[in-house]
Amino acid sequence: MNRLRKTISLRNLTMPLVLAVIWVSFSIANHQFLSSRNLSMLMIEMAVTATLAVGMLLVILPGHIDLSAGSGVGMIGGIASVLIFRLGWSAPPSLLASFALAVLLWAGMATLIVQCRVQAFIITLGGLLLFKGCFWLIIQSSTVPVASGGETNLYSLLTTYYFSPSVGLLCLPVIIAGMVLIKLRDRRIRSRAGLHVEDAEISTLKMFIAAQVLFLVVLVCNQYRGVPLAFAILCVVALMVHVLVKHTPIGRYLYAIGGNEEAALACGVPVRQVVVLAFSLMGGIVAITGFMQTAYAGASTTTVGELMELDAIAACVIGGASLKGGRGTVLGTLFGALVMASLLNGMTLLAAAPAIKLITRGLVLVLAVLIDVKLREE
Amino acid sequence: MIHQELALVDDLTVAENIFLGDEPRHGWCIDWTALLTATKEVLERFHFHLDPELKVRQLGIGQKQLVEIARALSKESRILILDEPTAALSNSEVNQLMQILRQLRQCGVACIYISHKLDEVKEIADRITVLRDGETVVTMEAKDASTSDMIHHMVGREISELYPRRISARRDKIVLAVERLSAASRSHQSVRLQNISFSVRAGEVLGIGGLMGAGRSELLMHLYGLWGKRLGGNVSVLGQCYPFPSPRKSLRRGLVLITEDRKRYGLVLDQSVGWNVSLSSLQSITQHGLVSRVEETIRNAPMLDKLGVRKSSYEKAVCELSGGNQQKVVLSRNLLSDPEIVLLDEPTRGIDVASKLEIYDEINQLVAEDKAVVLVSSELPELIGMSDRIVMLHEGRIAGEFDRDQFRQETLMAAATGSELPSHSL
Repeated sequence: MNRLRKTISLRNLTMPLVLAVIWVSFSIANHQFLSSRNLSMLMIEMAVTATLAVGMLLVILPGHIDLSAGSGVGMIGGIASVLIFRLGWSAPPSLLASFALAVLLWAGMATLIVQCRVQAFIITLGGLLLFKGCFWLIIQSSTVPVASGGETNLYSLLTTYYFSPSVGLLCLPVIIAGMVLIKLRDRRIRSRAGLHVEDAEISTLKMFIAAQVLFLVVLVCNQYRGVPLAFAILCVVALMVHVLVKHTPIGRYLYAIGGNEEAALACGVPVRQVVVLAFSLMGGIVAITGFMQTAYAGASTTTVGELMELDAIAACVIGGASLKGGRGTVLGTLFGALVMASLLNGMTLLAAAPAIKLITRGLVLVLAVLIDVKLREE
Repeated sequence: MIHQELALVDDLTVAENIFLGDEPRHGWCIDWTALLTATKEVLERFHFHLDPELKVRQLGIGQKQLVEIARALSKESRILILDEPTAALSNSEVNQLMQILRQLRQCGVACIYISHKLDEVKEIADRITVLRDGETVVTMEAKDASTSDMIHHMVGREISELYPRRISARRDKIVLAVERLSAASRSHQSVRLQNISFSVRAGEVLGIGGLMGAGRSELLMHLYGLWGKRLGGNVSVLGQCYPFPSPRKSLRRGLVLITEDRKRYGLVLDQSVGWNVSLSSLQSITQHGLVSRVEETIRNAPMLDKLGVRKSSYEKAVCELSGGNQQKVVLSRNLLSDPEIVLLDEPTRGIDVASKLEIYDEINQLVAEDKAVVLVSSELPELIGMSDRIVMLHEGRIAGEFDRDQFRQETLMAAATGSELPSHSL
């Protein structure tokens, strides 16, 4: 028991506890909250927030920030909609074109940041206003559907497609087997290298819990329509970013730049290139989020993506990232995004006024970070 | 309490720093006149020559230390704890400090003086306590204590000499040649290095000395590509001209720098020992685009082991380590990139005697492997003990180059202060 207490300290449990409190209160207030239909919706909403948050983590790690993400989400989604609905392109090339445009725009912003040594805060604040203006011009402040007249295309399917229950159940053992194999390999590597190896029982317990959670997720989804495509997209993006930041040289450079930029430079880290790369990836992720968010709304309207950058930043911070850079994990960010998405979903279900939604989200963000800071001090 | 590491606000003036948190007030507002007069008074009482209205950012590290000491003294303290107060001071500044401490002693202020510099301790202390691994080893009367006694208690083993000797095998292959180099700071445009020429051969240690602010660190950082704009002159590394240095290019050419300010330029403090060690050479442990943890540990372990870093601390965050171990992490990272030329800027500043010895051993081993070492140090005995040749800098210019048989503290100090010694004393 003592060993267990050492690994699972109170600090690691803060976020799950906060989440549990939120979920329990919402389910008491409205029993619909835990219905499989609402949970499926929540998963799609969370997928959108979390994808953007994971991208945000990429720029927060080296100590930068992206305030233009929300406007970008609206604009890129809007451009794709206009290409399809007004210009009659088919879905795949319009998505691809807007994706490429986003990567270019973000690479451009990053180049300004590193070459002219202007803070990312300023440049992306400019981007926020600029992209929003362009967005409204492009959709002419009207409503542009993602697919013409009740048809479905790749764009609209992003948030309306569900994998059939059998696919979900079939993938489950494959994913769990993969997790176990990776864990075993990691343990073998660590013991061979003479590093501290986690207790076998605790590893098994962790694996068991993770498998249970995955199983539960698939089961709940299958009760409604199956695992949503959006959730699968999130999983792929999150996995890719996780591998990038934890297991590649680029990832280490990101932490190094955020932790101590001068030292990173002195160690021969190509600081500028790495920052530009991080922003370019963020651009790609903004595009993906833009497609999902616009598809979820069904059409591009002037309010799509509004304030999403703040939700993404909040998710990172709740998940333990430092805005000074150098600290933060993908898993933490996913938790943070789940907290923010749950709040929004629950309050919408309770038909809370928009003002109340904003106030609650603000309070929860501040509270969660305060608890985290307090626990870290101990 | 005066810390070894500076704790000043760079963008405030000397006066503001000295009275930070304790400003003389005039109702709700700060009483600026009173602040400045009080500061002047404190500075004059202890004969510190500082302008109270200067921003701390503009001061040298030695002057910053004076500000910190003035701040502690301004509080009318009864007990003063000084942790390595002279780590960054020049000799004359040290003498000043000693004088102040004697004054304070007469006024009945108790001082706890923590230092690695044994001569200073002997000079100033009434009683000396030696600590090792968190325990008191011995407390003795200062007048009975000899330096070798103290060293003996500190390392816990007998050492015949603080600076291990090596057989100097002079080679003729010049690996680093600097000709008439001039450089200016990027931000202030003030010229800091002028007309500097020297060369370093494979298999030798070139010592660079000089007072605080003579441009020693700037010279090394400029060669490595971290400081300043080149105004003129040539630098060639391993026979190739090297006009636009950057750390990345330097590493590729086999030129590494172990910085004086390791917290600023050397380490990512939140990250682990292994992580920091690998940072400069990730390419060689990357397979299929992923960093291999096995390769990493297998490669890093022998180096850390050789320098005496314990295996249990590989996964600790660097900020939890002692200064000596942090320095070994920086050294390990740089040596792992297999350099030909190693620039060492105050490698033993603020670290314990045992770690110092390990670093000296490492320098000797590098030289034995035919690498070239450039050693900057503000401690003359260290320079004399470790170098084959010494170049002294004075206000950004070369004030003299000395061979081993010319090493004498007085001669070197004369060059550092820019004064001429009568020729018969050489």
